[in-house]
Amino acid sequence: MENFSEVLALFLSVDNFLAIAAGVLVGVVVGAIPGLTATMAVALALPFTFSMEPVTAILLLVGIYKGGMYGGSITAILIRTPGSPASACTLLDGYPMAQQGKAKKALKTALYSSVVADMISNVALIFFASYLAKIALNFGPPEYFWLICFSLTIIVSVSGSSVVKGLIAAGLGIIVSTIGLDAVYGTQRLTFDNYNLMDRVSFIPLLIGLFAIPEVIEFYTSKVAPHIRTAVSGASLTWKEFKGLLKTIVRGSVIGVIIGAIPGTGATSAAFISYSEAKRTSPRKANFGKGEVEGVAAAESGNNGVAGATLIPLLSLGIPGDVITAIILGAFMIHGLTPGPVLFQENLTLVYALFCGIMVSSFVLVFVGNAAIRYFSLIADIPKTILLPIVLMFCIYGAYAVNNSTFDIGLMLAFGVLGFVFNRTGIAAAPFLIGFILGPMFEDNLRRTMLISKGDLSIFFRGPITWVFILLTVASLIFAIRRYWVARKEDALA
Amino acid sequence: MEKSELQFAAASESHYGRCNPNSILGGTFSILALGFLFYVIPAFIEIPAYMQHPLLSPRFLPQLAGWLVLALSLLLMIDGLIKPPKRSETDEFRRGVPIMRQVLMVAAGIVYVLFFEELGAIGSGVLASVLLFLASGLRTIWVYALAIIFPAVVTLLFIYVLNVPLPPGTLWESLSLI
Repeated sequence: MENFSEVLALFLSVDNFLAIAAGVLVGVVVGAIPGLTATMAVALALPFTFSMEPVTAILLLVGIYKGGMYGGSITAILIRTPGSPASACTLLDGYPMAQQGKAKKALKTALYSSVVADMISNVALIFFASYLAKIALNFGPPEYFWLICFSLTIIVSVSGSSVVKGLIAAGLGIIVSTIGLDAVYGTQRLTFDNYNLMDRVSFIPLLIGLFAIPEVIEFYTSKVAPHIRTAVSGASLTWKEFKGLLKTIVRGSVIGVIIGAIPGTGATSAAFISYSEAKRTSPRKANFGKGEVEGVAAAESGNNGVAGATLIPLLSLGIPGDVITAIILGAFMIHGLTPGPVLFQENLTLVYALFCGIMVSSFVLVFVGNAAIRYFSLIADIPKTILLPIVLMFCIYGAYAVNNSTFDIGLMLAFGVLGFVFNRTGIAAAPFLIGFILGPMFEDNLRRTMLISKGDLSIFFRGPITWVFILLTVASLIFAIRRYWVARKEDALA
Repeated sequence: MEKSELQFAAASESHYGRCNPNSILGGTFSILALGFLFYVIPAFIEIPAYMQHPLLSPRFLPQLAGWLVLALSLLLMIDGLIKPPKRSETDEFRRGVPIMRQVLMVAAGIVYVLFFEELGAIGSGVLASVLLFLASGLRTIWVYALAIIFPAVVTLLFIYVLNVPLPPGTLWESLSLI
């Protein structure tokens, strides 16, 4: 009871509510602007959180994440441009519905499916994260070493169209993560005698550089694409129709939760699995792909069911489930917190305050989402010619704010150019970030294990937990390789 | 034209030749990885005299990642040579972009990197935004007012609302002293 009052005292502040509302609003707006992504918005918002309390800061980023997940579906439905890869499934039925004059119904279905799935996902987070964290308290460095190895296999799933290119990007990310003073011996590594690099490469300039600057460079090095406008029209979703969709939404949410809790599987696969499952069981399966409202509900519930669940491995084990949670992991670190079982031991109040905020964010999404539907044209019609110079300004100011150093601006632009080269050559930037974050964790746990065992390698196979992670790593790799070969075969046939 | 020639023409339009992005990328990364493994690591990562185990070496992880990049780059290069990738539709959007547009974008980047502290956050923001508006070919005057308003508002937001200090500009400070 005492803890409960502490949680409420920490959570019930105007700042937290404003952060949630602002986060969801920014997420929906950015997600609804074609070409801008939720990842970019979370990266750009990170410097704004420096002076905030940790709970407020994390809630702002989580709000953007959740808003962005829904915002992506608005453009998918109205202009056939998914704001995120996960929204690609929504356009299969959402866009045909918009063409049939049922845009409003499609958008409302997407919104309410997203909100219900988000709530179910949040409940799963609250129940499972602390349970998993309790188990993780038994982990030592060898167990963590294998857990990191397992987590590194998520690189395969965030590699986009080419696994080889994704792994190259991850290797480069690991190399960049080793720049700085060596943690054990204190010797310089790849610093080239530059004192700016002694304290590692700053996270925020790297993040903004990789995820925001390439969009700006891409715009100024490409022809301007024609602007497509679609009005939000037609009848809205009725309560009876919504009740009819509930079964599909709950099933999609559960699929999203299960998939989201596994690091690296991602919202895209959850959306497609939920969609195919709905199609398989629906009496109107022939209508799927031609403007079936159940298709939109299935895709969006699968997609949003992931949002809360990806925070399960992050909070309980300190392992990011996808790119956005990798950024949120960085935010925890910036505020002096380390996600994982110790967070539940030392900052339980903070964890539960976060849970409260995450639940509230689902309700906020209802209001903001409805407003976004009404005012979509105002959001989407902001021309990029005006928007992108402002985005660049935010990038520059954000990078500078980290250390008050113009070196970080240069570093950010350098990573921006790298991100642009990645874009042009079909290399996903996400594996680079995952490599950059997990590389030091891998090295740290490897070294701690070696120091504990005094060089005896048998410690890596010391108990059932290590074997569980070894088997998971091997299984994940086999699954990834199999998926890679199937994709190659399909590509060859096409 | 023969049927086979037509097929060849269609194929050459949709696929790159041997000199394709994948083989060039793989080749470039291979050379860089070799340089990293055999020059950068020995020259810029010291090995302590009292190292207890090779796995504890400061060179271990960079070397592991370097070899990974090398092996995968060679794989990518070979894959590109054997099976050239398809051209994407987005390639069309990247042709014929005015060079001045790109030059002005680079100039805006240079303004931020080289003159951020001298001109200050507002000054460099205004100048860079004007350059980027010019790059987009904007001709409406009121839009250029935004190039002044936005940097000022965003800077004040950072400084006074978020308590994040941004440079006022050493140039203006020295001018005010004169």
